[in-house]
Amino acid sequence: MAEFRIRFDGVSKYYGQQCVVDKLRLDIEKGEFVSLLGPSGSGKTTLLMMLAGFETATEGQILVDGYRVNDVPSHKRDMGVVFQNYALFPHMTVGANVAFPLQMRGISRAEIANRVKTALDMVQLGALSERKPSQLSGGQQQRVALARALVFEPRVVLMDEPLGALDKNLREQMQLDIRALHQRLGLTIVFVTHDQGEALTMSDRIAVFNKGKIEQIGTPRQVYDEPATRFVAEFIGETNLIDGTVETVEPASAVIRLNGGDVVRVAGSGGLAAGQGVSVSLRPERLSLTDGLSNNAGLPDNAISAIVTDCVYQGDHLRVQLAGPADASYVVRLDRRSPEPQRGAQVTAFFSPEDCKVIA
Amino acid sequence: MPAKTLQWLFGALMAAFLIVPLLVMMPLAFTSSLLLVYPIPSFSFRWFVELFTLPVWQRAIVNSLIIGFGTTALATVLGVLAALGLRRRLPMIGGVIRTLFMLPMVVPAVVLGIGMQILLARIGLANTHLAVIIAHTVVAVPFVIVSVSGSLAGIDRRVELAAASLGASPQRVFGKVTLPLAMPGILTGAVLAFATSLDEVVLTLFVAGPNQRTLARQMFSTIRDNISPAIAAAAFLFIFGTLLLAAVVLIVRRKKEVAAI
Amino acid sequence: MMSGKSFLQKSGPFLLVAPLFLFICLFFIWPLGSVLTQSVSDNAVARLLPETAKVASSWDGESAPGEDLQAAFVTDLRAATDEQAVGDMVRRLNSAQSGFRTLMSKTLRAVQETPEGLIDLVALDRKWSQPQYWKAITDALSPTTDRYLLAAVDLMRNDAGEIVSQPPEQTINVAIFGRTFWISATVTIFCVLLGYPYALLITVATGWKKQALLAAVLLPLWTSLLVRTAAWFILLQEQGLINSALMDLNIIAGPLALIFNRTGVIIAMTHVSLPMMVLPIYSVLLTIPKNLMPAAASLGAHPLRAFVRVLLPLSFGGIAAGSLLVFMSAIGYYITPALIGGAGDQMISSFIAFHAQNSGNWGMASALGIVLLVVTIILYAVYDRLATQRERSA
Repeated sequence: MAEFRIRFDGVSKYYGQQCVVDKLRLDIEKGEFVSLLGPSGSGKTTLLMMLAGFETATEGQILVDGYRVNDVPSHKRDMGVVFQNYALFPHMTVGANVAFPLQMRGISRAEIANRVKTALDMVQLGALSERKPSQLSGGQQQRVALARALVFEPRVVLMDEPLGALDKNLREQMQLDIRALHQRLGLTIVFVTHDQGEALTMSDRIAVFNKGKIEQIGTPRQVYDEPATRFVAEFIGETNLIDGTVETVEPASAVIRLNGGDVVRVAGSGGLAAGQGVSVSLRPERLSLTDGLSNNAGLPDNAISAIVTDCVYQGDHLRVQLAGPADASYVVRLDRRSPEPQRGAQVTAFFSPEDCKVIA
Repeated sequence: MPAKTLQWLFGALMAAFLIVPLLVMMPLAFTSSLLLVYPIPSFSFRWFVELFTLPVWQRAIVNSLIIGFGTTALATVLGVLAALGLRRRLPMIGGVIRTLFMLPMVVPAVVLGIGMQILLARIGLANTHLAVIIAHTVVAVPFVIVSVSGSLAGIDRRVELAAASLGASPQRVFGKVTLPLAMPGILTGAVLAFATSLDEVVLTLFVAGPNQRTLARQMFSTIRDNISPAIAAAAFLFIFGTLLLAAVVLIVRRKKEVAAI
Repeated sequence: MMSGKSFLQKSGPFLLVAPLFLFICLFFIWPLGSVLTQSVSDNAVARLLPETAKVASSWDGESAPGEDLQAAFVTDLRAATDEQAVGDMVRRLNSAQSGFRTLMSKTLRAVQETPEGLIDLVALDRKWSQPQYWKAITDALSPTTDRYLLAAVDLMRNDAGEIVSQPPEQTINVAIFGRTFWISATVTIFCVLLGYPYALLITVATGWKKQALLAAVLLPLWTSLLVRTAAWFILLQEQGLINSALMDLNIIAGPLALIFNRTGVIIAMTHVSLPMMVLPIYSVLLTIPKNLMPAAASLGAHPLRAFVRVLLPLSFGGIAAGSLLVFMSAIGYYITPALIGGAGDQMISSFIAFHAQNSGNWGMASALGIVLLVVTIILYAVYDRLATQRERSA
């Protein structure tokens, strides 16, 4: 058995009749960076609040290092929390903010001074320790909050959309900074976000939340390339989802007739049966285009005839909108150097069986 | 543009209507005349001297201070506790209780005065300083609640959660985070309570005996019976006292901010 | 339901609210309750005549009263030693049946002179043979009465117990309430007429002008009500600033009568109430997008029409809130009319205070107070309703 730092064992949360978290199970290993990803209202923040001790679970157990913590008040849980709005103490200086958790633990003044300095240096704010939070920029406040949550070396660091209020460039910088800290200090981090790009960038594993349940949990590669459900496929990255029916099932592949009439071959056939209704997820960047009608000559198995309805230059790529048979529409991402297809042109979109994923 | 001119003329006249009455009082506090009229014959402190040496006024000032500070202490303690309690959503009755606490601001003072006089006599508190303090606290407490609730509402709940997650017990969260952040509102509430007590006349008429005459009560009867510039001097003390208190609050607030930088 | 919260945490809010709750119940609710009971209680007579009360029920109320009733009455009078209480009783009886004052002083003297045995009351005074005098006593023995509340609105019960108007020479309270509402309404209207344009002006002003206009409203609000009233006293008096200024400018020959009359009361009360009108209107005007009037103009509305159709309806909530606030506080005013007004400008509060303090008629004072209180509470309920509606829609 692996060494679990945190275990949610059938945890539910009800507000009155409304179920926000539904009999949820999740194990988080020591030193792991796990993102809880989902739309707002999917229960991810509530789960984090229960872990921090700000909310009580209606049923189920929360275990930390093997001990049930349901009834442990938050100030005894030893978890560093970083809030979306930073929640710095507005009446204390930066230094006093960072010193706060150490004072609460009765650590000597000399050691507090030492550790506050180390923590602020770590986030490159050593020079600002006498400032008030209101005199700092958003990014600086964020780093103070981070230093404050790390300075007492908590067992777990919880982050609730900590980068949501920052602008794009700063956000990307902070993503890398936090990731570096995680690796350097060997922290266990639970990170709540609704930004799939952020989750993909930072996490060891991503738990995708929907309606109080986890739809899929896995590495960024797994959830992106092999979405287990329609929801995951659509929520993470952009995708073309086409409905169809399984025609034949072979040992290592299957043939699917799409609703538009095109027949495609997909890799893998586990769990599929002939006649079954399925969806095929096709990432836009995995599709390629050729001019004219498909003639199968020199092309892979899978080709779909379509007409170009729009083409937009987006700087790093070309985004092409296609209309297939039976009102199916596709999005294709092409390399920015590709020739721009004419609107109304007849094209063929093709892809290899390994590049699509069947969702039952 | 004549319309524009008319607009500003109206504004200036209105501002004068609102402010001039407050200003005319001031110079008369320093008149040497026996009458409360302009022009002032010469500058004199005689009315302030009278205020501080004549036993009636002297006693009134002392009474106002005793009752004012008593009211401030009682109203602030009760009001701060209640505002803290009302902060958490009390199921169903929260709104009702808040309205109940606000009602003393609305109820006509004379009606409350009659009831107070009947009740305080019945429980043996009639004609005591405590009776006046109690009566003033009833009407001062809404100001404390409004002002403290306001500053409590301004505290981000997550700041307190953060303190808890950093290891602070509920008592320490209150002492190190909630209370310091609510302090401006508490101070403002205390000043408002003091000002309310200082200015109270009607309830005082009903519950105070001759030994509890306050400055306001003394001014009221002086205006009624024998108008003397002493009331201008008393009014000057009133305005000056209120300004002084407001300044103290401002300085305390500013100091906290400066200390932070 | 599982919960990690301790009993103390859950009951904490209640424990915090409890001290003030008890305080308010004890020193706010109870006093108001006392006013209510005082307004319907009538024990001035029953307190002193316990023996009479015991035998009163056996009397039919029409025939001449029997010996036992007379004997009980005399016994009670002998036992009554508190002169003030006796005085209260006589006053109470005399108000129900005129002639009691002389009758009772005669009777009390006789009772004092004859400390033992029976007294022939009818022989003492023929009035004691008339049932209406005994009726007045037995009626007054009931511990509760609606006579004060009825009298507060100039009503009374006739001999048959029906509610009728008081004789015209005794009606005064309705007129005083009418005067109170009339003065308050006048003040409210002046406040709207002056306060609305002023609030509008604050809204459109910028920079120091805005600050100055706002300060002019806020400063009086922070200044003692007593000081403001005293200031108007100084301004309005015969040799006051206004009169001397007008005479210096040769606008008037002799001083105008500005104080101790209605004019002075309305000027001073308008000044005192104006901030309560300006601030609610201003806070509503602030929420109205600035581009609505230009938008209305661009759609072809004349400025006046745009004002009536756009700005006025949108700011109506502020006018209503301000008016209720001003009217509600104005009907309870005591200090300003007492110091600035003449005898004919005293409002209901003055009469309540007069009944309580000068004539010791607590029943009447309380009954008038209850009427004033009920009107105020109704107005406050409407105001509260408006305020919560606005909060919800905001």
